[in-house]
Amino acid sequence: MKGLYAAASAMLANLTRQNQIAHNVANMDTPGFKQVLSSLTDYLHAPVHQPHPEASASGGTDLVGSVGLGVQNRPESIDFSGGSLRYSGESLDLAIQGPGFFRVETPEGERYTRDGRFNLDLEGNLVTVDGFFVLDDNGQRIRLEGGSAPTVTGEGVLLQDGEEVARLGIAVFADPAAALTRSISNTFAAQGQPDGEGQGVVLQGYLESANVNAAQMMTQMVQVARSYEAAQQMVQTQDELNARAISRLGSW
Amino acid sequence: MPVSFTQIMNIARSGMLTRLTSLDTISDNLSNIQTPGFKRGRTNFQELLNQSQLGGSQISSTQFMMTQGQLKRTENSLDLAIRGKGFFALTLPDGRTAYTRDGQFYLDAQRRIVNADGFPLDWEGEIPEGAEDVHVNPDGAVMVLRAGAWSEAGRIELAHFANPSGLLRYGQNLWLETEISGEAQTGAPGEEERGVILGKAIEQSNVNLAEEMVNLSSLQRSFEMSLRVFQQTDEMLSQAIHLRRG
Repeated sequence: MKGLYAAASAMLANLTRQNQIAHNVANMDTPGFKQVLSSLTDYLHAPVHQPHPEASASGGTDLVGSVGLGVQNRPESIDFSGGSLRYSGESLDLAIQGPGFFRVETPEGERYTRDGRFNLDLEGNLVTVDGFFVLDDNGQRIRLEGGSAPTVTGEGVLLQDGEEVARLGIAVFADPAAALTRSISNTFAAQGQPDGEGQGVVLQGYLESANVNAAQMMTQMVQVARSYEAAQQMVQTQDELNARAISRLGSW
Repeated sequence: MPVSFTQIMNIARSGMLTRLTSLDTISDNLSNIQTPGFKRGRTNFQELLNQSQLGGSQISSTQFMMTQGQLKRTENSLDLAIRGKGFFALTLPDGRTAYTRDGQFYLDAQRRIVNADGFPLDWEGEIPEGAEDVHVNPDGAVMVLRAGAWSEAGRIELAHFANPSGLLRYGQNLWLETEISGEAQTGAPGEEERGVILGKAIEQSNVNLAEEMVNLSSLQRSFEMSLRVFQQTDEMLSQAIHLRRG
């Protein structure tokens, strides 16, 4: 019966991959989106024993090897590679070229994002498209007085009429894939404090595109379709073998 | 947590629905490419998570891009364009004030300055009877030619907002103030960031045809891809249902 479950595990694992692909495809046009990486790994291996050639009273068996019991999904991980930058011309559209994340305050606590579509709320606070507050380098909200659109320098300093009004809080993580997990609305939650150095250049009037590659997604979808189909065939074959075994052995 | 077919189909559906909404925005932009003072819209896609489960995408807002459109010369002396961030204020039939960047004005039978829909412009002054020509100066002064002499008939003021992208779209190329945009700060053109008025000119829409076409085709591709995900998930579901033959 091991084979039946191994084949079924492949169907389930591919369903999860399909879910991750669907999510990546749905977010191809979400600026700052980082794709979900899907990977598979072997499930448990079970030892295979065979009785001794000269079966004795001891009933001893020989270990002849092991058999895989199927496949499972690795824990979901995030691909933090940079997306391409796209010019938008809007003064409050920002992108970071190189390492670093914008610090934002959400109802669930401080989060990090690469999505630089900012705007002003009714009190003049700099907010994300979801209304989360963008934080400065001291973790405070950024409030812009007056109506003039700020100029943003490469270091992330906001200038209004040539004077510094705030400095964007940019968090750099030495290993983002290890430190960050996916959180609400295109943000990431960190386990610890930002521990990296060398923040990238902030570009005003640009947005970072999602790092989802359309051709790669389609290729992965073909793989999923074929291996799901193959696993389904295997389940049927195993089932037929079992049925035959039961009927033959029964009529013997 | 195990993944269900419905969940994947919902993600694919969200991918398609958001693209359809965005298509509306692009069609609106394209159909208004020749509308003076029109500001293009942008659909903001956002990732959706349901209790930390992957949930596809959603639309978080439709944002109007308030960048300056190019100015074009015309022959009509009441074609006014604003170079800067201000808006003309108009009175709606219900008495509310609406704001617009569309400066194609006319004189109506009562010699009021009205827009193409007949809504009067809010300004201090009056065009006198027998006016042969009108000219609006950059500072908003309305000059009238009568019996061979120019005289000032009044002044046009412009409104300016702390956060113009927070304005509410009324339709007919008009905007209404909201809590998010802040109150209209009305004043003389040229002061603060209101900008100056240019007579015999109109501001063209800030829609860029090439950019919209690029957005349109990439949108079409991503719609098709979500559709493919949906179809393939459906096939997988069918295979799962037919696991047991006969």
